[in-house]
Amino acid sequence: MTTANHLEPYIQLSGISKAYAIGGETVPIFSSLDLKIPSGDFVAIMGPSGSGKSTLLNMLAGIDRPDAGCLRIGSSRLDQMGEAARASWRAHCMGIVFQFYNLLPMLTVAENVELPLLLKSLSARDRRGRVEKVLELVGLADRARQYPVSMSGGQQQRVGIARAIVADPALLLCDEPTGDLDRKSADEVLAMLRMLNREFGKTIVMVTHDPQAALHANRTLHLDKGAFIEERRAA
Amino acid sequence: MSSILRQTFVMTRANIFSLPRRLSISLSMVLSVALVVCVLAGFLAMAKGFETALQSAGSPSVSVVLGGGTNQETGSDIPASVIRTLQAMTGDIGVKRVGDGALVLSREMVVTVEVKPVGTDAGRTLALRGMDAAGAAIRDHVSLSDGRLFAPGAREIVVGDRLGREFGLRTGDSVRLGTVDWRVVGTFSAQGSAFESEIWADLDTVGAAFDRQGQVQSLRMRLAEPAALAVLTRELAAITTTPLIAVSEADLYAAQSERTASLIRLFGWPLSLLMAIGATAGALNTMMNSVSDRTVEIATVRTLGFSRLSASAATWIEAVLLAAVGVLLGLALSWLAFNGWQASTIGGNNARMAFQLAVTGDVMLRAGLLGLAIGVVGGALPAIAATRLPLATALRSRG
Ligand SMILES: Nc1ncnc2c1ncn2[C@@H]1O[C@H](COP(=O)(O)OP(=O)(O)OP(=O)(O)O)[C@@H](O)[C@H]1O
Ligand SMILES: [Mg+2]
Repeated sequence: MTTANHLEPYIQLSGISKAYAIGGETVPIFSSLDLKIPSGDFVAIMGPSGSGKSTLLNMLAGIDRPDAGCLRIGSSRLDQMGEAARASWRAHCMGIVFQFYNLLPMLTVAENVELPLLLKSLSARDRRGRVEKVLELVGLADRARQYPVSMSGGQQQRVGIARAIVADPALLLCDEPTGDLDRKSADEVLAMLRMLNREFGKTIVMVTHDPQAALHANRTLHLDKGAFIEERRAA
Repeated sequence: MSSILRQTFVMTRANIFSLPRRLSISLSMVLSVALVVCVLAGFLAMAKGFETALQSAGSPSVSVVLGGGTNQETGSDIPASVIRTLQAMTGDIGVKRVGDGALVLSREMVVTVEVKPVGTDAGRTLALRGMDAAGAAIRDHVSLSDGRLFAPGAREIVVGDRLGREFGLRTGDSVRLGTVDWRVVGTFSAQGSAFESEIWADLDTVGAAFDRQGQVQSLRMRLAEPAALAVLTRELAAITTTPLIAVSEADLYAAQSERTASLIRLFGWPLSLLMAIGATAGALNTMMNSVSDRTVEIATVRTLGFSRLSASAATWIEAVLLAAVGVLLGLALSWLAFNGWQASTIGGNNARMAFQLAVTGDVMLRAGLLGLAIGVVGGALPAIAATRLPLATALRSRG
């Protein structure tokens, strides 16, 4: 395990275990996983299919729970929180970007981006202002009234990113954000993530299969057989 | 607006916009609710129409005297001696008198006759009422709409407007009732009440034609005032040859209508409830389908931090809205189809009685509430299911 020396660990996993019951048999994914990620870091997680990358990310997102171990993000002990508390934590502390964008097709781009803001006590006017700002940031200000189906994959993913950051969370989680995109769109999305990390100080954890995508991160962790190997550190 | 309301609102909106994706199953729910509403509204409208027809027939100022220990015209018998005794009473017996002091009274008897409506072979049973000349005038709201009243001793009849229309009987026509022919000399209106389903003729002529000479089933008398019924009842108690009762015409018909109307309701409610159970199962299926159709969307917004409550409330609201559309459709259809629709049933004297179905506000309220209940009950389980989606699994599928 490595920790950036000058930073407190922001995400801390220790002794995490997780198993799934598949056909009556208990299949362990992790038995004792440790991980520390300092605030402001941009970590890429790679590994073979089925190694548990998504499972790990879902635990970090508070939509899945470890069977045992301690999972702390900031000052929150996610492993000890109930569903309602985790829902509120998700609303306030993290943004998530999905491989398949997961935009609601019957809502416009602006309405999709606005969703996380509905959970905050903001006036409609404030919400509109914030939506406009993030859409501008991802270069889609002129698409606000369109529906997702009319857009390319790369554009939809940028809407996904806008939705993830609109409530200004400190943590951004991405599960194969470029897995469904061509090279050019993927590079645009990755450049955007790096910008969010460098200029806005977002802590980003990104699961990816693409070594080129991983190059955009500060470091890459390789997950295999329930443990991490650090592969590369940015200079 | 609180956050939970905002969440529910936006999710409900998304649900409704996504309805075209599951159009046919949603439509089937709407239609099944509409069908249930239609059926119940039909039965209730029938009961209501029946009540209205009978209630408007009865007047509180008219007394019907029945004899022989029955409280219906059927089976009642008034001996001639009783009538003579009554007519001999000179004091106040609660009954109105004409100038010469005679009681305003009509001796009556109902026999059932078979009549074939125009263009059909199957005869239908109708009530032929024999009465004294005063009979028509004693009744409230009765007026001749055509021709004249039957003459004493003549084989002449007047028919209620409703019957006239239905059976194509007009003034001047000749009809065979029993074994002899009768001439229609007029038609009368009774403001759509049960009387309009009757044929009226002279009492003695009816007695002779049906071999029941001298028989009297009931006496109809105009009371001095509604409260005078008590006076009449007291006077009748003094006559001991046979048990006699005096009821107000209003009560007589109310009792009759209550029996039949509750029979109609007794049949209509279980049938509608049974259909409603079927429709609820259909609604449950529709809404389960909706939840699984929206799995990824629900999981997505829940991942963003939306509450379980908003997911379930939005699902439930969708169910109730679909049911509400069904209710509106069902009510509109039943109003168009049933309101004012002519129906008939076996009325008081084992004869056909025609009436109009009445889709009233009360009928619509009851049928509408049953329809909404289908949505409320059918949507409950799916609403819970919407909160139980495991997010991690739901997100695995492509959005
Ligand atoms: N809800 C579940 N029930 C049963 N098994 C599960 C469940 N979720 C994940 N698994 C299993 O856990 C293992 C890890 O799954 P996970 O999705 O985390 O892998 P991954 O590293 O993201 O793979 P990929 O690269 O294909 O996305 C797999 O073998 C998967 O089949
Ligand atoms: Mg995965």
